[in-house]
Amino acid sequence: MSNIKTADEYFKELSEAVVEMDEERAVTAANASLVAGVDAYDAIQQGLSDGMTRAGQLFEDEEYFIPELLMCSDAMYAGLEVLKPHLKKTVVSRGTVVIGVIEGDTHDIGKNMVRIMFETGGFNVIDLGRDVPPQRFVDTARDAKADIIALSTLMTTTMDGMGTVVKLLNESNLRDGIKVMVGGGPISAGFAKRIGADGYAVNASEAVKVARELVGNG
Amino acid sequence: MSISPKQRLLDTLAKKTVDRPPVICTGGMMNSAIVDVMTASGHTLPEAHFEAGRMTDLAGDIHRDTGFENLGIPFCMTVEAEVLGSEIDFGSLACEPKIARELFSSVKDVTFKDTGNMLRSGRIAQVAGSAERLSRLYPDQPVIGSLTGPISTAASLVDPMQFLKELRKERDSAHRVLQYVSNFLIGFAHTLIESGATVICIGDPTATGEILGPRMFEEYAVTYLNRIIDGIHAAGVPVLVHICGEMKAVKPSIPQLHADAISTDAFVNLKLLKDEYPQLTTMGNVSTILLESGDPEKVARRTETLIREGIDIISPACGLSTSTSLATIRAMTNTVKY
Repeated sequence: MSNIKTADEYFKELSEAVVEMDEERAVTAANASLVAGVDAYDAIQQGLSDGMTRAGQLFEDEEYFIPELLMCSDAMYAGLEVLKPHLKKTVVSRGTVVIGVIEGDTHDIGKNMVRIMFETGGFNVIDLGRDVPPQRFVDTARDAKADIIALSTLMTTTMDGMGTVVKLLNESNLRDGIKVMVGGGPISAGFAKRIGADGYAVNASEAVKVARELVGNG
Repeated sequence: MSISPKQRLLDTLAKKTVDRPPVICTGGMMNSAIVDVMTASGHTLPEAHFEAGRMTDLAGDIHRDTGFENLGIPFCMTVEAEVLGSEIDFGSLACEPKIARELFSSVKDVTFKDTGNMLRSGRIAQVAGSAERLSRLYPDQPVIGSLTGPISTAASLVDPMQFLKELRKERDSAHRVLQYVSNFLIGFAHTLIESGATVICIGDPTATGEILGPRMFEEYAVTYLNRIIDGIHAAGVPVLVHICGEMKAVKPSIPQLHADAISTDAFVNLKLLKDEYPQLTTMGNVSTILLESGDPEKVARRTETLIREGIDIISPACGLSTSTSLATIRAMTNTVKY
């Protein structure tokens, strides 16, 4: 077998490193692809991102769970660190998402998963963290000209705050430009509809798909 | 002659035949310190988190107003994390306390404190003092001491994202941390039992199938929950365990738990679970969303169904929203009792 690899083989190696949760392998593969003259943008898109998409699928299939998906994302970010400085063109963002856990709730595992999948999926993400008051979502989205506000909660106690965000957007006449998506343990599609949200996703992997549809570039 | 609520719960947990299921709300993760109760009585949170007398008063108010057949303390899931050293935000009347910042960023960094010293610090003595008073004031009612489970407690001590990864990456250190946390939780349970707690309930919301998956659930959740349950059983007290989430991914692990009853979220069909594993004593699972939505009739109907299906202990399916109304809670408790 020849030692000279095709670009596709580097992509495959990067993708595998992510799926196999192997940070070192991702870094080695990223360096090797740069040495071989593979375009950094293609290596990210067709290698690392592809790996994260596959990891997301394994998560949906319940073969991977949160610890596994987090380790895949660590491998992805490790490869990204190597490749990013070599990007020739600016990557066009799919849109800006303001994300956070609604006030009163500090459970942020789900939110962090969604953030990772958004970043992997090509969105620019502003993470407000956990325990965020409704008004801050609105202010941040307005100032950053965001396309989406993504709200997460794990507690029934804090579900009301999600409706408040939609109400505040309406009151400040920002509702047309900003889509709202909600998710988290106690949230259902029916609840999302009731409070006037635009989208609901049952998990992190699906959240990206919904976001792409909402900004019209699915 | 009808038996006392305390005896009914103990008999149910001992798999003896009883006249009807008990209807309870355990405290801790599943507490019913709702705004309606507090504003009526003036015994309010966050004050009642800190002092045995106030905790006792509020637990008594809840028992009287809701009709739940138990006293349940504390009203939060942060007593353990505070003692272990994490920073707590004590919340407000309507908002429960939570972890403001975990003490460690990795399981490898965790330094171990002496269990005896920990049991003398934080709010442990206040919760124990409240258990002591409640068991004296309400001799016919079960006093339920609520613990935060080992996985959730460990994820309150170590940054949860890091912690979850390290369950795979740093298994030795992760096991050491869980052992440390479990020993402390056994000590806390024993303190509550010595003070008069009738039953211990463990709620472990981070230990779900959705988060951990079946392998991690078995390696960590089952192992350490059982270690704690065994430690509590050694003191002769029964244990309830609440499992959050759909439970689909971890269902085969559930009968491995040594708990005397398993409580589940609203998604889980308890009747099917009972059909599949007849050895389980089931507890639950009136949806907390249904309870919050404020329709007493629907709540009563759902409660009737659970009773008809032979669910052993009737209880809310998860943590109650503090804006839940007394009318829906009473619809639930009255349906069971009358």
